[in-house]
Amino acid sequence: MEYVNPLTGLRIDGRRPTEMRHLKGEIGVVSKADGSALFEMGNTRVIAAVYGPREVQNKGQQMNNNEALVRCEYSMANFSTGDRARRPKGDRRSTEISLVIRQTMEACILTKLMPRSQIDIFVQVLQADGGTRSACINAATLALADAGIPMRDIITSCSAGYLCTTPLLDLNYAEDSAGGPDVTVGILAKMDKVTLLQMDAKLPLDTFETVMQLAIEGCKAIAQYIREIMLQNTKQLECRRGS
Amino acid sequence: MVGLSEGEKQFLSGGIEHNIRADGRTRHQFRPISVHTGVIPQANGSARVRLGATEVIASIKAELGKPSLLHPDKGKVSIFVDCSPTAAPIYEGKGGEELSMELSVALERCLLGGKSGAGAAIDLSSLVLVEGKVCWDLYIDALVVSSDGNLLDSLAAGIKAALSNTGLPKVNVVLGASPEEQPEVDVSDEEFLQFDTSAVPVIVTLTKVGKHYIVDATSEEESQMSSAVSVSVNGNGQICGLTKRGGAGLDPSVLYDMVSVAKYVSQQFISVLDSEIAAAEASED
Repeated sequence: MEYVNPLTGLRIDGRRPTEMRHLKGEIGVVSKADGSALFEMGNTRVIAAVYGPREVQNKGQQMNNNEALVRCEYSMANFSTGDRARRPKGDRRSTEISLVIRQTMEACILTKLMPRSQIDIFVQVLQADGGTRSACINAATLALADAGIPMRDIITSCSAGYLCTTPLLDLNYAEDSAGGPDVTVGILAKMDKVTLLQMDAKLPLDTFETVMQLAIEGCKAIAQYIREIMLQNTKQLECRRGS
Repeated sequence: MVGLSEGEKQFLSGGIEHNIRADGRTRHQFRPISVHTGVIPQANGSARVRLGATEVIASIKAELGKPSLLHPDKGKVSIFVDCSPTAAPIYEGKGGEELSMELSVALERCLLGGKSGAGAAIDLSSLVLVEGKVCWDLYIDALVVSSDGNLLDSLAAGIKAALSNTGLPKVNVVLGASPEEQPEVDVSDEEFLQFDTSAVPVIVTLTKVGKHYIVDATSEEESQMSSAVSVSVNGNGQICGLTKRGGAGLDPSVLYDMVSVAKYVSQQFISVLDSEIAAAEASED
């Protein structure tokens, strides 16, 4: 299958190889949560809700008294994929992605400032079209900012692949299932540090460097967009406060 | 949710007694409702309903299947409710399963009628394509995104809106040469048949707090309830289902009164909901 048209150089959805899907972020979608956000990357839509910092519910889980406990759960709605499938809670893929998101967010939250407390991050996928874990991390960043939880930096994530000898940015579901490599990167935007790096399939080393660099550029562009969303939100709050 | 203090509890119950609740509504007033249809593009029909801070998403997917042997002339409908942990941390992992089960069963009872399919709101015989062989299987999936009380009413409204938005593709059936052969079906991509939702009921939940009962309780008001009655009423004013929850006993006369209040309130609610659905469908086009 031609994932990159040899004549026009466009992908199956009409994008150029280094073009990201349309991004949309919205803060404060779940009013009952301490912080929440909706993030869309093309047709992938996820909602993240943050509850915390609050009292630790399960003392057995609390490992370290000097730090906040960060917990995360990733769930997909029954209608999120093309073929409707009943998703059992706690299947392996959900558990793995929950773990990945938790470790990524834990790296940037200043947990030492909130000892003996718990921060819950819940991510719900409404529509899945490739890149769900990246969209979840981006949504979680916005939700944590909405909740006012102190963080070291903004974490953003993006995926990139390599099909038809072309590095492609932000794979959708069709490109992801093509069997080519899928590199997911999560970075701390301003500090310019990589906190998440996952890849499947195989790539020669120099191609891997190109693809990873492309994904990092994508992350930086998303960080720019997230910063704008947060600024807009702050201006709105300022307005409501009446200053 | 953090517990309520004594002062807050008094404020809630006192307000209800004086017919002016914490957010300014009267006892029989619903919160403002907002409906968006067509929110899930890959589903046959979908809707997102917001009732105050409670938000639910309902989606309807139709797949071709075989009718059950007991009812060869009827299609199949199943309802699944999922409480997302984004709505409340207590729904994390398996925590929301009990509530999801309770809501799914209550909705099935109100919308699908008895065991034989009698009195169903959705005409199941309209879903059958070839008797005994091919029928539509409707999967109604509802997701509770944000919870601020009154989940059952919002879910019923969401399902009604999603059904209004549902288009079943037109199917051309070519019967096989012999009766045992599976007929060939050709699902059209172009033409769609809209669902008739005039018979689909809404659910009105009356929550008893103190001596009075209120419509559309928020989660704070629900925490103070002694019992709740959910009545399902359709457009003709007929009762389609009834559920009583909560421990405190109710005098039968109070129950009759609650049912008549539910009937009266539901007529208003149905007209508001219908106009919202029509507006949502119009703006979606």
